Amino acid sequence: MRVAVLSFAHVHAATYIGLLRDRDGIELITSDPDAPPGDPTRGRQLAESLGAAYVDTWDEVFALRPDAVVVTSENARHRHLVERAAATGAHVLCEKPLATTEADARAMIDACERAGVGLMTAYPVRFSPAFTALRRALADGSLGGLISVHGANNGSNPARSRPWFADPELAGGGALADHTVHIADLVDVLLDGEEAAEVYAQANSILDDDGGPAPGVETAALVTVRYPSGLVAAVDASWSHPPDHPTWGGLAMTCVGEKAIVEFDAFPPLLGGFDSATGRDRWEAGGTDLDAAMLEEFLDTIRTGRRPSPDGETGLRTLRIVLAAYESLRTGQPVALRDAPGTEGG
Amino acid sequence: MAELEVALIGAGGIARTHLPAWVALGARVRLYAPDGRAPALAREFGATSVGSLGEAIAGATVVDVCTPTDTHREITLAAVAAGAHVLCEKPLALSAAEAGEMADAAEAAGVRLYPGHVVRFFPAYARLRDLVAGGGLGRVAVARFTRTGRYPTWSGWFADPLRSGGILTDQMIHDMDIARWLFGDVVRVHARHQGHLTNPAPEGAVATGTAVLTHAGGAITQVVGVWGPPATPFRTTFHVSGTGGTVQHDSQAHLDLRITGRATGGPADGIPAGDFGESPYLTQIREFAEAFAGGPEPRVSGRDGVAAVRIAEAAAQSARTGRTVELAPPAPLVPRPTTVPTGGIDQ
Repeated sequence: MRVAVLSFAHVHAATYIGLLRDRDGIELITSDPDAPPGDPTRGRQLAESLGAAYVDTWDEVFALRPDAVVVTSENARHRHLVERAAATGAHVLCEKPLATTEADARAMIDACERAGVGLMTAYPVRFSPAFTALRRALADGSLGGLISVHGANNGSNPARSRPWFADPELAGGGALADHTVHIADLVDVLLDGEEAAEVYAQANSILDDDGGPAPGVETAALVTVRYPSGLVAAVDASWSHPPDHPTWGGLAMTCVGEKAIVEFDAFPPLLGGFDSATGRDRWEAGGTDLDAAMLEEFLDTIRTGRRPSPDGETGLRTLRIVLAAYESLRTGQPVALRDAPGTEGG
Repeated sequence: MAELEVALIGAGGIARTHLPAWVALGARVRLYAPDGRAPALAREFGATSVGSLGEAIAGATVVDVCTPTDTHREITLAAVAAGAHVLCEKPLALSAAEAGEMADAAEAAGVRLYPGHVVRFFPAYARLRDLVAGGGLGRVAVARFTRTGRYPTWSGWFADPLRSGGILTDQMIHDMDIARWLFGDVVRVHARHQGHLTNPAPEGAVATGTAVLTHAGGAITQVVGVWGPPATPFRTTFHVSGTGGTVQHDSQAHLDLRITGRATGGPADGIPAGDFGESPYLTQIREFAEAFAGGPEPRVSGRDGVAAVRIAEAAAQSARTGRTVELAPPAPLVPRPTTVPTGGIDQ
C-alpha cells in the first residue's frame, strides 16, 4: 500500500512518518512543497533526517497514485489536499480540526463521498484502551446515565515551534480551535454522535502576551457545551502548559454518572522521579501509543473497506462546536449551534 | 482574649465543626436549634443548650449562625439588633440584596459580620492565595476548581433550591469566593446545573454544576461542583496557570495517611474536616474571634460574603435563563468606622 504524508506543517507529520516508515507492506512517500526554504524542520531536510522518500511537488505525489494520504498541512489548507486526494482515489486521514469553516469541511466530506474513498479525522484519544473501557462501562449501564463531563486538554503553545498555529487565517483560531475538539470527540463517542445544542466560551491571550509567539489568538479558553440530552461538558482547552515542562501537556476527563464518577487520563505518566541532568521532574510517558492505534485503524479500514471512525462527519460535528465557541466569544453569550454563522453555505 | 459568650444557632453538620473550635478557644457556648438537636450536641462538647433564639442571643457577644441558608437573614438581623457580632455560615443569604441588607445592618450597628467562607482557611487555598498575591504565578490567565462530595441527603433542605440555592449556590459558592479572592471582581457569569435539582432528593441522587467566571482583570475561571453518589469521597482540586507557571492541588492525591483494606460500605463523609494539623474551622474561628475582640480584620469580610452571593445569584440566574449575566463593578464601599463602638467584645 502506498501512503503519502502531505505537508509537514503540523508537528504530527513527523510522528506519522516515524510510524509508517518501518511498517511492512507500506510504501511511504512524503511532500512538503509549501515549506519555508531552508527550514530544517520542514521539507526535504526533515524527510531526509527521518529517512522518508520525498518528492518536491503535489503533482509528483498525486502522479504516484497513493492508495492513502495523511494530510498534515495547516488547518485552512486541508481542503485542497483532501479534494485532490479524493479525486485520485486515495483514502484520507486528515489532521484535526478537519477544517476552519463548515463549508470547507462539508466540501471535503462530499468530495470523499463522491469519490468513494474514506475520510477519517485524526482524533487519536478515543483509541485509548482505557477510554474503550469507559465507553463499555457506560454502555452496560454500570455508571447510570451521564450527567456531566469536565475535562482539560492543556498543552504547551505549538506556535513556539510552528508560528502558523497563532495565525487565525491558517489555524482557524488558537488554543480553543486546537484543543476543544479532542474532548468534544470523546463526548461525541459517548453520546453516539449527538450534535451539540449550545456552546459558551470565554478566552484570553494573557499567556504569551509579553513577547510570546501567539498574540494574535487566544492562548487560554474555557468552553461549556450543552447537548440536547441534557449533558453538559466543561472544557479547559488552554495552551497553559509551561514550555519547559517535561511533557507537551495532557488530556484528562471526568465523567459524572448517576451511579459513579469516572476519571480518564489519556496520558498518565508511567514513571516519575527527578532528573538531575536537567534539573526537572522526570516524566516517562506510559500507556498505549494512541497515534499508532489510530493509524492502525485507518490502514485497516482501507484493507477491509470499512467506513473509518472517527469519520468526516465527526470532524464536522466537533468543528461546529469550535465555530459556535468563537461566535460566543464575539457575543459574550451562549450560542445555539443552529444560529452559528459559517454554517451551511456560510 | 476576653471570655467570649457565644450563641451557636443550629445543631447540624456545620455547628458540629464550629462548636469544638469555640470550646478550644475557651468560649462559653450556648446552643439553640429549632429542630431540637441542640441538647445532644451541647452535651457532647460540654456546652449548654437553651430553649429559644432570644434566650441564646440575649447578652451574647457573638452569634454564630449555622442554620439553613434561608434563615440566615432573620437570625443575623436579630443578633445585630441585640448588639452581637455575627459569624454567619456561607452563603450569607440566597440573594445579594438580603446579604447586603445584613452587611448594612451590621455596619450601622457597629458590629462585625463575617461569612464562614472556610475554604480560605484550608492550607492549600491559603497557600495558593499567597502564591498568586505574591506574584509567584506571574499574571494569571486561567484557573479551574472542582469540589466533589456525596449529595447532602443527610439534611433535607440542601436539595431545596428555595432553602439552599442548590448546588450552584450552596456548594460552588466556596470556589466562586476563592476565585474572586484570588483573581479579583467577576464581571460575567455563565452557569449550568443538571441532575437531581429538586426537593426531596432520594439517597443516590446526583447533581452537578459548572460555572465560568470572567474576572475584571481578564482571567477566566471554571468552577465545577459535584454532589455525587453516596460513596463519593470528599475531594477538591484546583489548577491555576499564569505567565509564571502553574500550580495544582488535589486533596486526595497526597494524603498524610491512607488506610486501605478495611471493610467499608457506608456513605462517605460529606463535610471535609481538613487534613491533619489544625482544623481550618478552628483557624477561621480564631481569626474571627480576634477581630471580634478588636484585633485585625480577618482575611474575609462581610462585603466579601455579599460579593460571593452576588456571583452565586448570577450563576443561578444564568442556569435558569440560559444566558450569561453581566455584573457591574461593585459600588464603592461605605467607609467602615475606624473604631469599634461600644457593645463590642470588651464590654
